Amino acid sequence: MTLTTILSKLAGGMLTSFSIFSLTLIFSLPLGLLVALARMSKNALVKGIMRIYISIMRGTPLMLQLLVVYFGPYYVFGIKLSPNYRYWAVIIAFVINYAAYFAEIYRGGIESIAPGQYEAAKVLGYSSSQTFVKIILPQVIKRIIPSITNEVITLIKDTSLAFAIAVTEMFTIAKAIASSEKTLMAYVFAGIFYYVFNFIVAMIMERIEKKLNYYH
Amino acid sequence: MKKNFSVIAIVVVLAALFVGILSVQADGVKTLIVGFDQNFPPYGYVGEDGEYTGYDLELAAEAAKRMELEIVYQPIDWDAKDLELDSGTIDCIWNGFTMNNREDKYTWTEAYKGAGQVFLLAADSGVTDYSGLKGKVVAVQTDSAGLYAIQDEENKDLLDSFKELLVIPQYNEAFMELESGAIDAIILDIDVAKYQIEGKEDKYLILDEFLQKEEYGVGFKLGNTELRDKVQVVLDEMAKDGVFAELSEKYFSYDSCIMAACQPEK
Amino acid sequence: MEVFNIKQASKTFDNNLDVLQGIDISVSQGEVVAIIGPSGSGKSTLLRCATLLETMDSGELSYSGEKAAWNGPDGKTVYAPEAELKKIKSKFGLVFQNFNLFPHYSVMKNITDAPICVQKRDPKEVFAEADALLAKMGISDKADAYPYQLSGGQQQRVSIARALAMNPEILFFDEPTSALDPELTGEILRVIRTLALENMTMVIVTHEIEFARIVADRVIFMDAGIIIEEGSAEQLINNPENARTKAFLSRLQL
Repeated sequence: MTLTTILSKLAGGMLTSFSIFSLTLIFSLPLGLLVALARMSKNALVKGIMRIYISIMRGTPLMLQLLVVYFGPYYVFGIKLSPNYRYWAVIIAFVINYAAYFAEIYRGGIESIAPGQYEAAKVLGYSSSQTFVKIILPQVIKRIIPSITNEVITLIKDTSLAFAIAVTEMFTIAKAIASSEKTLMAYVFAGIFYYVFNFIVAMIMERIEKKLNYYH
Repeated sequence: MKKNFSVIAIVVVLAALFVGILSVQADGVKTLIVGFDQNFPPYGYVGEDGEYTGYDLELAAEAAKRMELEIVYQPIDWDAKDLELDSGTIDCIWNGFTMNNREDKYTWTEAYKGAGQVFLLAADSGVTDYSGLKGKVVAVQTDSAGLYAIQDEENKDLLDSFKELLVIPQYNEAFMELESGAIDAIILDIDVAKYQIEGKEDKYLILDEFLQKEEYGVGFKLGNTELRDKVQVVLDEMAKDGVFAELSEKYFSYDSCIMAACQPEK
Repeated sequence: MEVFNIKQASKTFDNNLDVLQGIDISVSQGEVVAIIGPSGSGKSTLLRCATLLETMDSGELSYSGEKAAWNGPDGKTVYAPEAELKKIKSKFGLVFQNFNLFPHYSVMKNITDAPICVQKRDPKEVFAEADALLAKMGISDKADAYPYQLSGGQQQRVSIARALAMNPEILFFDEPTSALDPELTGEILRVIRTLALENMTMVIVTHEIEFARIVADRVIFMDAGIIIEEGSAEQLINNPENARTKAFLSRLQL
């Protein structure tokens, strides 16, 4: 196999990894916020459901969740699975898993905001949605960025779990090339790809952190 | 307000589930989805051009063509192969798939290839027979024919003589471990072993004695005789047309076909 | 003219602290009232009930004759509908002990955001007014600074400006100097005096007797959720009649 073939194959896999990564973030970051709010709801039922959801998501391996999301519809409802569902099952499993982690990060952030901020906003006549969006959330985001960065970087590496339900992301391709080529070169390239990806993501997150550093 | 948010949250989660379930439904295109372990040369692997190829995949492609089905190569996580087959996300496992000890778990075609499990060692190990394996670290792939063979009651004494039996997820890693000296031997399929040491014959040796003789077939979900029968018909055709002999020469340098239809007519 | 009126305000907490047991206070336009009393006397709770941060168990509340809360048939407080309360909220302002400025907003934005986004006033007019307020507070040069860059006294002045920007009819202060170093108390006192001279109606909860003596037209002494004594600063501080007032004042003077 020529170097170009190896690299283009890996790049193809990288594209899959990257799309899993970005779709997961696009959906799980907002979903996590909603889950966090529901988790802090005064309604005991909503609160209880969210608590159980978060505990299941954090208490079982992501790989198991992938298998359940993908094979569940067949084994539970007897629905015949379409090949396209493979990829979406990965996205769904990643999104609901990461949303649970993000929810707890959001919750920690929201609960760390001093009650005085809510009171000041209330006295000034802000509605509760204005208060949340304008006053609370921006402060929460600043506080949770370091924890979010951690999760985001873990997510990059977690994309390799997608092969549990046979979505061939980059690492799977690297393994396949390594086994047919009998060399470790594909692993080296895969490592470099992951590192560069991580490096860029870490840099972007650092930028955001710096940008929010205009106040304490 | 918070209450509103909770309601929205639940709606979003339900909507996501709903969309998910909609996309679950299969569309009914006429395909033959072949599940295989992509890390298993020469049966199924990534070829020179970066596309999937291999002895079994070429056979499968030819069979699909004759059945007028579109072939889909679906690399799978070997651990999830039964889930994949049961749920219908793959139609068959066609992948140097050993029938021995699995006779009742799948619906099989006639065995098309003979094979066996052997020991692969470094040439400088000086081991020539099973007695030399005493005190060695031996690796075998998880859920493989080799693993079942060594765990068989018959081979208990041999297994007990090892220092350790290491169950690894993939042969790939086993070769790296053997090369680096972390393990002493690998139990694996004879043809996989030959493929791996090609070009490095002076560095490795394969023990002559087979740990287990076995046969390969195409595995279908238990009870799916309809598809099995269709495939069997085209396999017989392919045997008569010499496709088996040709591909077997290409990958193994000998005619490995053991189907009745392959045997010279008396 | 009466700006603020609270009648028979009562409130109990589970922990039995900071209770209110039927408080009556009426404040007229231009009046400066200081509320003093030992901690746990209920004076902060009173302020929180007056500013709708806390709900009363029973009692009535009105601003300039507009009713915010009244007693229902069962004797429990009924609050006006949300829309009504929103209107009433713009009649008062509250200055917190801990300032509670929004840390992610500049001084200017802290002051102008609520008038623009809540009261929907013309931004140009709001900014002009904010400039004038900052000048009055002596912190014109801090318009673009962030709260963390300011001293405690400056932050408290910003929070006063923020409350004033809403053009309230009455301004409440909750211990406005107790989070400040003693030497910074003076600058807040000067601001409040200036406001008093401009005829601003103010209710100040404080434990600084000097403060009360200097700015207040009327001083109210509270203890254990009831008003013990009230009168002019001169009269209540120099010649208290009630034994509890005397005890409290003498403890402070030690």
